[in-house]
Amino acid sequence: MVRRAPTTAGELGKKFTFSKRWALCVALVAMIPALFWTPSASAADGVAPPDPADFSARCLTCHSQEYLGSVESSQGPRDLHIDPAVYEASAHGLLPCNSCHIGFSHDPHVMVSNAEFFAETAGEACRNCHDDQFEMYKQSYHGELTRDGGAEGVKAPLCVDCHGAHDIAEVDTLEYRQSIADVCGKCHGGREDSFLDTYHGKSLSLGREASATCVDCHGDHSILPVSNPQSMLSQVNILPTCQQCHPSATQKFTTFLVHVDPTSTDAPLLVFLVAIGYLALIVCVFAFGGIHTMLYIYRGLRDGLYSRKGGH
Amino acid sequence: MSQSTDAIEGVNLVYHRFSAFHRFNHYLVMVSFFGLTLTGIPLKFKTSYWSQLMMDAIGGVAAAGFIHRVMAVANILYFVLEVGYMALYVVTRKGPVFHDDSIVPGKKDWADMKGMFRWFLGKGSKPRLSRFTYWEKFDFWALFAGTFLIGGSGLMMWFPEATTRILPGVALNVALVIHSNEAFLAVGVIFIFVHFFSAHGRPESFPADQVIFSGYLPVEHYIHDRPDEYANRLKAGTLEEVVRPRPDAGRRRFFSVVTTLVTIFAFFAASYTLLLVLWPLAF
Repeated sequence: MVRRAPTTAGELGKKFTFSKRWALCVALVAMIPALFWTPSASAADGVAPPDPADFSARCLTCHSQEYLGSVESSQGPRDLHIDPAVYEASAHGLLPCNSCHIGFSHDPHVMVSNAEFFAETAGEACRNCHDDQFEMYKQSYHGELTRDGGAEGVKAPLCVDCHGAHDIAEVDTLEYRQSIADVCGKCHGGREDSFLDTYHGKSLSLGREASATCVDCHGDHSILPVSNPQSMLSQVNILPTCQQCHPSATQKFTTFLVHVDPTSTDAPLLVFLVAIGYLALIVCVFAFGGIHTMLYIYRGLRDGLYSRKGGH
Repeated sequence: MSQSTDAIEGVNLVYHRFSAFHRFNHYLVMVSFFGLTLTGIPLKFKTSYWSQLMMDAIGGVAAAGFIHRVMAVANILYFVLEVGYMALYVVTRKGPVFHDDSIVPGKKDWADMKGMFRWFLGKGSKPRLSRFTYWEKFDFWALFAGTFLIGGSGLMMWFPEATTRILPGVALNVALVIHSNEAFLAVGVIFIFVHFFSAHGRPESFPADQVIFSGYLPVEHYIHDRPDEYANRLKAGTLEEVVRPRPDAGRRRFFSVVTTLVTIFAFFAASYTLLLVLWPLAF
């Protein structure tokens, strides 16, 4: 008996019995979960390289432990403990650890015990993604310090010293702009206090993001000493720098002194005299007014004047 | 004479102390001073927790800066009006410009001050005070001079580019020192050390003196609190100039409500300022 192949749809339909159709429906429904299937499971075969999230998870197995303590480096003690929540909230939170820790070797302790690691690799790691900024930094005074070893006792600031590392911030946020004065103040002590006493500093502290801070006048990656003619604050460049925000500023405008402590003898004489004069005036007036008030209240209570109806 | 004396001591008369102009000027200064303080003092005490709260409540530093400038214009208007009034007063007055009832400090103020200290310490009776006491003269002239200094330095910082077309940049440094210190001095004098107490908190006026809001006070209060002016007017026969019939009940209630509201707000302002100042010292 030779079976003839079905030639029409009708004939094909007759070939399927009710139970066959039912079985096909069940099979199709059973395949629905496959629509939501992702290929991630197939990578977990132990041969492929670990995916970024998995890689970081391995590092954090140890480095999320608070008892790890710190390790000495050329830049001072570095905390070995990483708070995963802080890192994930940072601007780099999606990057795996080894995108910056490019010196990572199989034995992590080889890496961390190298005191030169930060000076040699920290900048190079940033350069992989931030090449333009890194080139500007290399040309700057800060960059120069890394090559010359700096003046005696001066440590060259690396990218991470200003930007932070595991808590690295988005630079266009108010919080970051508010932190700049403190960051600069780590090395340029005292300058941040005088800045914070100007309107720029006061208004920025209280949330006015547009207010100028250190880097807006001094420059950021390509920062140079004021004595350098290329500096944003050199005699040639200071007026255009002020005019970024004050378009109608003139040369005299640029002689406003940002970094002045009015009560210090280093301040201009007039500023110093006005500040000291006010201090004396305030002390005298408040003291005299305070004593006068106290005595008046004393007499009023003593003579029962406060209890008289209507005060008279 | 005896007839007018009887009339004054009647309960249906009031002593009229401040004209509508002076009351308007006080309202102007009061509102603008509160506004300037609320928007300006947080900048001085920028590290205080309360400063940030205040700035957020106002709507940010930019909004506070806008309100500060509007209030500054109102404050400058007070100063211009006061200068105009003084000029007009000097030009139009028929009698001597300096006299017993004048706001200009004189010898009697020194004597009154010594007398008050003796009275405080129980070594004498209370001096017979004039139309303006020495502390009122201090209040007036301190505010007048302070407004000139703080207004001038404020305008310099409002228009820094224009200022440095004429003056060197260090003028802005001086302006900042003046503005910041004068603000602290003024707030301390008005809220804490002098004005609120001497105008409203002293036993003769406690808890609030409504005379600057309504313009009048009861005649018996006047005779008791300003015996020297009363005696001068009695002698000169000018008492009728300042004694008027008592306003109706509705008007009296209105000024009572105004005084109460302002007093509550003043207590708030003084406490708020103290918080701003003391918080950074404590924490």
